[in-house]
Amino acid sequence: MEETIKSIVLGLCSGGIYALLAVSYVVIYKSTRVFPFSQAAVLIIGAYIMWYCLIAWNLPIWLGFIITCAGGALLGMFIERAFMRPLVGQPILAPIVVTLCLMLFLRGIGILMGKGDIQGFGESFLPVGAWEIGFLHLPKIQVYGFILCGVLIAALMLFYEKTRTGLGMRVVHEDHVVAQNLGINVKRIFQYSWIISCIIAVIAGMLLGNIQGVGLALDANGLITIAAVLFGGLESFAGAIIAGLAIGILQMLTIAYIAPLLPGETTMMVPFVFLLLILFIKPYGLFGLVRIERL
Amino acid sequence: MNINRPCGTFDRNYFQAKELYRTRLRKVLLALLILGMYVLPLLIGDYGISILTVICAFIIGMLGLQIITGYCGQISIGHAAFMGVGMYTVAILQRHFGFSFWLALPFAGLVPMFIGMMFGVPALRMKGLYLAFATLAAHFVIVYVISNWRSVTNGTDGMWMKRPGELFGIDFMKDRNYYLLVLTVTIFMTYVATNLSRTKLGRSFVAVRDNDIAAEVMGINIAYTKIMAFGVGCFFAGISGAMGGAYYEYVNIEWFGLDDSIWYLGFLVVGGFGSIFGAIAGATVWKIMDELSTLVTPLAETFLGGAAFYASAAFSLVFYSLIIIVFLVFEPRGIAHRWEIIKRSYRLHPFPY
Repeated sequence: MEETIKSIVLGLCSGGIYALLAVSYVVIYKSTRVFPFSQAAVLIIGAYIMWYCLIAWNLPIWLGFIITCAGGALLGMFIERAFMRPLVGQPILAPIVVTLCLMLFLRGIGILMGKGDIQGFGESFLPVGAWEIGFLHLPKIQVYGFILCGVLIAALMLFYEKTRTGLGMRVVHEDHVVAQNLGINVKRIFQYSWIISCIIAVIAGMLLGNIQGVGLALDANGLITIAAVLFGGLESFAGAIIAGLAIGILQMLTIAYIAPLLPGETTMMVPFVFLLLILFIKPYGLFGLVRIERL
Repeated sequence: MNINRPCGTFDRNYFQAKELYRTRLRKVLLALLILGMYVLPLLIGDYGISILTVICAFIIGMLGLQIITGYCGQISIGHAAFMGVGMYTVAILQRHFGFSFWLALPFAGLVPMFIGMMFGVPALRMKGLYLAFATLAAHFVIVYVISNWRSVTNGTDGMWMKRPGELFGIDFMKDRNYYLLVLTVTIFMTYVATNLSRTKLGRSFVAVRDNDIAAEVMGINIAYTKIMAFGVGCFFAGISGAMGGAYYEYVNIEWFGLDDSIWYLGFLVVGGFGSIFGAIAGATVWKIMDELSTLVTPLAETFLGGAAFYASAAFSLVFYSLIIIVFLVFEPRGIAHRWEIIKRSYRLHPFPY
């Protein structure tokens, strides 16, 4: 029992990052109807930019954070303008192949940036150590990461609710043609979506790099998050957050209970078995829209 | 069916309408091509033969993906894993049950076929992107099982595989003879795939791709069609894996990364969707690029010194993905479409259209 509670609490903490990443997928999917597999590799780029800022150039943390976010924004803008915009209106296959290839492209860039090694941030930019509450052992990195993720998601939701651009984005989520007729620049909204999503992914990459070390293996987190996005429903922010936390918990429970029984990387395999189960039982996820089509 | 038919060819009876190749020129060219492929190993060295063998093996796999994705419109991000299942099936049957290659070959097709159909079952309830997720999950589950079921698959160390022994006095241990075998299998599978697209099943694939609701209204069982597409495609993938693995006489799970599954899909785009020629062109371009990137590695070493190993890995990732993206952006219909344009302008030569 103690073990279970421990896993669940730890899972919630690490699930914060998955929730953040899941939101980064949903932002793009909702507005452009393209599933951005590439975000899994944007993580790597973000972590490496932060690594360059902190270790190679010895910049202060706040400046590194700003530079990394700016880098993420530029990357998102570039991807949308150069690769995704020519594909608007093409059959569904084309954008999927492009985002998959972008994933490998960014991975290749990541190899070049990191010279193929796993790097560390030296000392963590979030406080280290842990709180001991009863039998719970809470690493501060995880808790602060969770809080940061929560703040970011809240800020994003406020942006959607309160600003004029956010309103426009919500209209685009509903229907592209209607939005265009209402005088909203749909292309610009697509660009905003990619920029927002890439900034989020880059920040998640920083946080993950802080915990797991900066390396190519980071994109595994991005791939696992795909299971979370599907569980929550591709069109739902609330679903993405809940499912992100759920995947975090699932992963910790896996480490506690399933990993001792099975060999190998169970943390990578179990989320995908979970994904298959969702596809069989409830393919549109918790809050996803069930599409009804007709001729 | 090719509408851009040469001038003056008409269907006067049913058998003419069924013909694959209509004009004498095309028949002669095809015969010359096949003959040339059989004679080629006499002219080129061992290196050329190794490239040709790999290209032929991958053409079979690419045809399978063409059936799943190009004809039926179902996106598969796990094709390399199914190829791996085919390879491992032969290796396991040879090692644990003492099967000969010939006996194991049908199983190399059938086992991936059933696994592929299993992962295609979500097609009963959804389509498009959601099915792509199912194949992505299939990829990870298959790779996990193969790399961790050590007692059967020898884990990440890989397994030895035996080439087929003598048949009709032909010794397949020689690379040249083995190439001829792979070539024969490839021609046979190409023939099967070409004809499959003209059967009832093949036509229902295309109907499901173009509009699945309309297909259902016409009385096509969509779920059955999609699952069959996965089954047939994975059968091809398995055969391709068996032929390729037996050439190296060794199997390793490292060969079937997520990268390879994505390259499969990407080079299908480069070749062209929905045509047999597209699959052949895609596989050929892919493997020729592979050879080019291994040729470039020594160059990278001279420029970058000891850091070359990561540079060559990054080079192939960046270069391939850029090529695929550029093709998608500028020529979404691939090489096959260009080839059709060239053929048409040849036919209509003095006139622009």
